[in-house]
Amino acid sequence: MRKLLSILLVLAMMLALVPAALADGDLEPITLTVFRGDPGDQPYPDNKIYKKIEEEFGVTFEFEFLAGDLDEKLTLMTQDLDDLPDLFDGGNSAEKLIDAGALINLLDYVNPEDTPNLWAHIEPQKNRIITKDEVTGEDVMYIIPNYGLPEGPQIALSVGGPAFFIQKQVLAWGGYPQITTLDEYFDLIEKFLEANPTNADGTPYIGFDILCEDWRRFCLINPVQHLMGHPNDGEVLIDVNSDDYPTETFINRAYAKPYYKKLNEEFQKGIISADTFVMNYDQYIAQLSTGIVLGMFDQAWDFGNATNALLTDKKYENTYVALGLVYDEDDVAGLLPEGWTIEEHYLNGSLPNLDRGFGISVSCECPERIIAMWERMMDEDWQLLFNWGVEGEDYSIVDGRLIMTEEQYANTQDIEWQRHNKARAFFESSPKRQGWILEGDLAGNCWEPGNQNEIVFGLMNDYDKEFLAAYGYSKFADFVNPPIELAPYGEAWQIDKAPIEKDYNDFLNIQDSQLPGVIMANPDDFDAKWDAFVEAINPSCEVYSNFMHEEVLKLVDAYYGK
Amino acid sequence: MTEYTQGVKLRTGKRKGFFRQLAGQWQLALMSVPMFLYVLLFNYVPMWGWINAFKDYGNRKLVARGITPYNGLANFKWLFSRPDFYQAIRNTLAMSVINLVFGTVSAILLAILLNEVRNRGFKRTVQTVTYLPHFLSMVIVVAMAQNIFATNGPINALLTGVGLAKTPIFWLGEGKYFWWLVGVINVWKEVGWGTIIYISAMTSIDPSLYEAAAIDGAGRFHRIMHVTLPGIRSTFIILLIMNIGHLMEAGFEIQYLLGNGLVASYSRTIDIFVLEYGIQQMDMGVATAAGMFKSVVAIILLVSANFIAKRLGEDTLV
Amino acid sequence: MTNSIEMNKRPRRRNDVVFPIVNTCILILLMFVTLYPVINTLAYSFNDGTDALKGGISLWPRVFSLQSYRSILQDPAVYQAAWISASKTVLITLLNLFWTGMLAYALARREYVLRKLITTMLVLTMYINAGLIPNYLLITKTLHLSKSYWVYIIPTMFSCFNMIVIRTYIVGLPDALVESARIDGAGDIRVYWQIIFPLCTPVLATVALFVAVGSWNSWFDTHLYCASKKNLLTLQYLLKMKLATTQASANAGKATAEALANSNSTKTTPVTIRCAITVISTIPILVVYPFLQKYFVTGMALGSVKG
Repeated sequence: MRKLLSILLVLAMMLALVPAALADGDLEPITLTVFRGDPGDQPYPDNKIYKKIEEEFGVTFEFEFLAGDLDEKLTLMTQDLDDLPDLFDGGNSAEKLIDAGALINLLDYVNPEDTPNLWAHIEPQKNRIITKDEVTGEDVMYIIPNYGLPEGPQIALSVGGPAFFIQKQVLAWGGYPQITTLDEYFDLIEKFLEANPTNADGTPYIGFDILCEDWRRFCLINPVQHLMGHPNDGEVLIDVNSDDYPTETFINRAYAKPYYKKLNEEFQKGIISADTFVMNYDQYIAQLSTGIVLGMFDQAWDFGNATNALLTDKKYENTYVALGLVYDEDDVAGLLPEGWTIEEHYLNGSLPNLDRGFGISVSCECPERIIAMWERMMDEDWQLLFNWGVEGEDYSIVDGRLIMTEEQYANTQDIEWQRHNKARAFFESSPKRQGWILEGDLAGNCWEPGNQNEIVFGLMNDYDKEFLAAYGYSKFADFVNPPIELAPYGEAWQIDKAPIEKDYNDFLNIQDSQLPGVIMANPDDFDAKWDAFVEAINPSCEVYSNFMHEEVLKLVDAYYGK
Repeated sequence: MTEYTQGVKLRTGKRKGFFRQLAGQWQLALMSVPMFLYVLLFNYVPMWGWINAFKDYGNRKLVARGITPYNGLANFKWLFSRPDFYQAIRNTLAMSVINLVFGTVSAILLAILLNEVRNRGFKRTVQTVTYLPHFLSMVIVVAMAQNIFATNGPINALLTGVGLAKTPIFWLGEGKYFWWLVGVINVWKEVGWGTIIYISAMTSIDPSLYEAAAIDGAGRFHRIMHVTLPGIRSTFIILLIMNIGHLMEAGFEIQYLLGNGLVASYSRTIDIFVLEYGIQQMDMGVATAAGMFKSVVAIILLVSANFIAKRLGEDTLV
Repeated sequence: MTNSIEMNKRPRRRNDVVFPIVNTCILILLMFVTLYPVINTLAYSFNDGTDALKGGISLWPRVFSLQSYRSILQDPAVYQAAWISASKTVLITLLNLFWTGMLAYALARREYVLRKLITTMLVLTMYINAGLIPNYLLITKTLHLSKSYWVYIIPTMFSCFNMIVIRTYIVGLPDALVESARIDGAGDIRVYWQIIFPLCTPVLATVALFVAVGSWNSWFDTHLYCASKKNLLTLQYLLKMKLATTQASANAGKATAEALANSNSTKTTPVTIRCAITVISTIPILVVYPFLQKYFVTGMALGSVKG
């Protein structure tokens, strides 16, 4: 009996020692609470990527996604800084987390010695990413950008952002012409409409749509800067060639008038209909999806759903090409700012997604462990696992090339499949490698399947291939000039307008309520309505311009390390 | 019972009488005081938040460091310096009055029509079907309304078809139609739901009153006017008083969804104004000030309505 | 109401023949007008998502598909959430009826000395609101209710509007009922439960419907207090999230026609998901409704009780 007891005792002691022994080699398992500032699907428990994370790092996640209003939610969450999620992604309002003191300074952990991978990742853009705290003056980095730090030469296969879009069939009907000005663009649409008032089903075509619902008003407002030859700075025009970076809102300037004058003419001709100013986003997508809208100004991601619908119906000729229209010098003669020359630049250099992605909250108990995990995850094996999946299952390597079959690629688009097989909720907001794989056996491949040559061109439909061939182009980005170098201040739309938000709201409201009226004005009233609009919006434009100018100069100084 | 209480009042002083009366009414107190305390905790304790109306939340970076200095009435002054705030008040009142009138009249009318239906199955079917749109989200209903009222939609086709309009009417793009569209859509969505409360009130009408009316040879119209309507009168009055207090709330979702730049000066309600200039910018000062203003107006309206009802000898809320 | 009028054998007037016909026609027309959006929603919910983007569907799906329902119902989390929603709805409804009914009775008694004070304080809560942050801090920091099931129950046990509705009904009941019971020596609690409560069935059924629908459809409390707890998510919150993710992912993918044809998820779009969500969350209400409707459409024959 005694013997048995002592054996039991020894056994019990041994068992008690096991966790201690484990702790030396492996990490103690932890659960990280994660907040994502956008909607998302919970991964399934059998998710293979999260299983691998748990195996190697001992980390499991508890995700919270956003369902309601982001700003409201963040305001409430930051009322109690002791009870924050460990990994905190503030979505499009992450500045609010930083301002509220909810995030730790990652520079306490990220440096060239301890985290060479992460450092190498941010190093090329560190003057944009690392900023100075306004009060203490110390260097700070609260968030490692989740996107926009690609390696190797910039990849620009198509226009993913703003452009004047036109249906491929219109260009094909016109004999594949080069369209570079507003006049050419609308002339072609008018002629096409005259020859083809309706589609094959008898539904009338719509010449040009202008979406102006809520924040999507950019379709109405933003074109002027691009017509002036500039990439997207939001609502201001900045002269990058001057050391002082003069910054002004463009909507109230003389050089904006010719565009709206043109729209007014097209409205009178019936190319634009009044309904366009009252439609909501769903109606807009519905119109585009049926293939009856010949042209519009928009950003490509904004109508991806409509493109998908057209592709599913195999209406390839109704899908769109992005054109980089600019003002004809004659149109704006005498109206341009001094020394301004117009040269088309719709594509910009790669833009780091500043202040977007995970930060680590002040209530997180293990920041060093998260940093160490990210550091390890920047290695090739983990990046391939996140981007491409498991070799043999989700992709294969043939002669040093990363390949996906059509079915494998279709899987990656399937949300249900992703919940079993992708670590989206975690990876989307984490630092990641993009662009080209530059080293090792796989050099020359792309980090992301969506950029890989074999996938982009291997799966392209025949209509598009022939269409490109007719123009002698190899990709759709060839319709516009190649990207220019990113301006030192980045893209000005990223600037947080919180300090002047009330004036900014006035600025938006006046545009919303008056610009459609200007476009629909009787031609005799056009000038009067335009002048009234400019007068109404001038005060808020002035505040906005001055504010943006100051902010741009701050960013430029920071970029040059001043 | 009433005479008894008054008797007590007469015999003893008021204060002493109060506690003695309360002691005598311990059962009523047991039924009401727990919930009263509950309401104090959940509705009145947080009222310290109103102090924010007198603080400056304009600079978010300072707010984040806990620096929110008192600024007196600056938030209120800002609100009342804005012409579009007055416009928002006008729009709110206009739309809520339209909603109140349309909503109440249509609900009572439908309730009466339903009450006159003999066939129970039919009655229940109509009731179930008409209340269903209540459960559709505003997004869906507004999307349908936008199609129906589009320049090439069925309403315009009808109007031009029968010659009531020469050219299609731009319902969605002209401010003067906006308030009425909101009224129509709200009635469409809520008429059946609004009926429920009146139908349940009609169940309390003594059937012998109908019998008596029939014996008197009263016609259907007479019965409705003299039995049914008086039967739901107190429910109507009480709901009316409560809704008059809510005139500063015209909703927010429908205006937000149905509105657009062209009609903005008719569609922006107080709630939308506060959302744009207060809440979305985390300016709790302005948001709370606007909330306080609404509450004060609501209480003035409520007390006035209650007073008038009392004067007219109607049922009152308090 | 009752058919007592029929028994009265008096000559039929023209009105008696014309009115029911006109009335029936009006109601049928009204049914059509209100049924249209419902059927339209159903049609969209059973339509292929990408096809539905084009709009123009009216009473019948154009390309039939169960994909929207499948994408919602295949997620096991939906069933857990439905259980949370159903259980809290039942609990809240019972608690509300229990407290609100008693309170309404107490405040309907004219002689009750606290009547004015309590009524005034309660009515004011309908018109004043402290604002989001103070309420949030009360729930989280003072009461520590967040991330717990009770945050669904405790803050929503009472609604002043419903109390007023019940009170108005009770006031409308014949005084003699209460008085006769009082003479029998019954206390207020007994009078309420034995006499008033059964008489109030129609209005209590109405209030039960209001409370249950409100609770069933609420998602904001989950959003504020429980969104990080997978096991405490409510159905409405989950459905709202589903809609939000469909909207967000809609434009994300760069897909080819072939990838689209093979992929399931791209066939669900916000347009159809929104409709399927509406149908899924309304069906339980539709199922419960007839049981409550029985009480407030037919009502109680007051006369028989009195007699």
